[in-house]
Amino acid sequence: MSATTSTTRSPAVPAVLPSHDFLRTPLLATARPEGFKEWHHFLVQTRGRRILINFSLMSETLGAGPPRLVPRIIVVVHDGRWTGAVERFADADVSADLCTLSVGGSRMHIDPDGFRVVLDLPDRHIHGELLFTPGRRPSLGRVNNQPVGAGRISWLFVPRLTATGRLRIDGVEHRLDGDAAYHDHNWGRFRWGDDFGWEWGSILPADPADPWSVVFTRKTDRRRLRCLSQALYVWHHDELAAMFRDSAVRMESSGLLGRPPDCTLPAPMRLVLGSEASDVPAALTITASSAVGTLEVVFRPDSHARLAQPSELHPARSVVLSEISGTARVRGSIGDRGFDAPGTGVVEVLHG
Amino acid sequence: MAEPVGSLLRRSLDHVEHEAPASYRHLLDTLGPLVIGIDVDGERFALRGGARLEVIDGRVGGMVDGVIDAVAGTHVALSRAAILAVLDAELGLAEAVETGRIAVRGRLDDVVRTHDTLIAYAHAAVRAPSVPALMAQLRGGSGGAP
Repeated sequence: MSATTSTTRSPAVPAVLPSHDFLRTPLLATARPEGFKEWHHFLVQTRGRRILINFSLMSETLGAGPPRLVPRIIVVVHDGRWTGAVERFADADVSADLCTLSVGGSRMHIDPDGFRVVLDLPDRHIHGELLFTPGRRPSLGRVNNQPVGAGRISWLFVPRLTATGRLRIDGVEHRLDGDAAYHDHNWGRFRWGDDFGWEWGSILPADPADPWSVVFTRKTDRRRLRCLSQALYVWHHDELAAMFRDSAVRMESSGLLGRPPDCTLPAPMRLVLGSEASDVPAALTITASSAVGTLEVVFRPDSHARLAQPSELHPARSVVLSEISGTARVRGSIGDRGFDAPGTGVVEVLHG
Repeated sequence: MAEPVGSLLRRSLDHVEHEAPASYRHLLDTLGPLVIGIDVDGERFALRGGARLEVIDGRVGGMVDGVIDAVAGTHVALSRAAILAVLDAELGLAEAVETGRIAVRGRLDDVVRTHDTLIAYAHAAVRAPSVPALMAQLRGGSGGAP
């Protein structure tokens, strides 16, 4: 199998979401759950505020027992500083049409109009209802069967949506009214702690009227010394305007943010990760050039949260996903269209 | 009445042994021959290894059948509230020790081994899904300042 990248353009009626973004677990993992992971990820990013919501099903093996799929919900909010929770559940239910995942009192539903997310985590004092709506003719980015260590992962993303609704966390009510958002969906069979790392980011314009959005990704080895693949995607409204891959892309980190994470989730993992050390850069610069155009993205982190995942290969190692918020500037030209705009971004760096 | 911390530790180790056996073995190897005496708000117990991990109630070093049962290499004194503050990430481990909210006595090598054992226990506990439920029991007996 090889990794492939493509985009899916919707017909006039945007049934593209349920027909492509449906849950894979019942098809791919019910009979053989070992190593399988799947998650739907939603990210609201407006100036000064980020909301990250993640519904996942991941294979877990306890002792000598058989592997089983364990549902989790992650909710992390940055509003001045990062805070949030990870909740694990015993069971989940996937609807027959593979478009609804119900976990406890929470659920994520995919329909032609978008994604409906209901959060009900009373033990964490988190409640909310959000609707993520793509453009009139959404197109999806897809990356199939990319190697991650000895495993493979597939990735499908909607670069730009609008979010409406409300979310209550830590006693604070967040109201969303057409806020810019991003969505992705990942699934595959691999093991946390295997020889891989990744960085990906979503950059959205500060001005909602600005039609540009950018998504980038880089896969590396675990030590992040060897780049295995990288790509940068540029969207203009709902249309993929340019895709730069591998040698057409250059990513450079410089400096260190020099700020400890605002929070570590699950909280007890702070004990094993320490509280101060961080390799979050002060700046991340991505340049891309091809016959289609040129682009420069400068992302400047301002804070970060850590999500920790126990290694599946070593009993005393952890995988850390740093969720980094910051500001961005995107400059360049695609075809005959030039742009130079400030933006907001969230970058995720996985290492360990 | 709140469940004693020693009892909660014993139950958590049972969960770890069955749900995360590789991490349990790593924890056992890390502790090695060391015996850690623990005092939580005056409740005394000890952790020791061997064929498997064992939580001994009471002060270690007592006479059992005419011989000294075990002698703690390190002594750790803390409160239930301090344990929760560290687990909730409100208090860093280093800060807890530096400010005296966790007091550790022993030879340097043994103190380092105690630290490594704590970290190995944390790695093991996060891999055992039944352990977080014990946190509620731990909270049930917490009332003081850390």
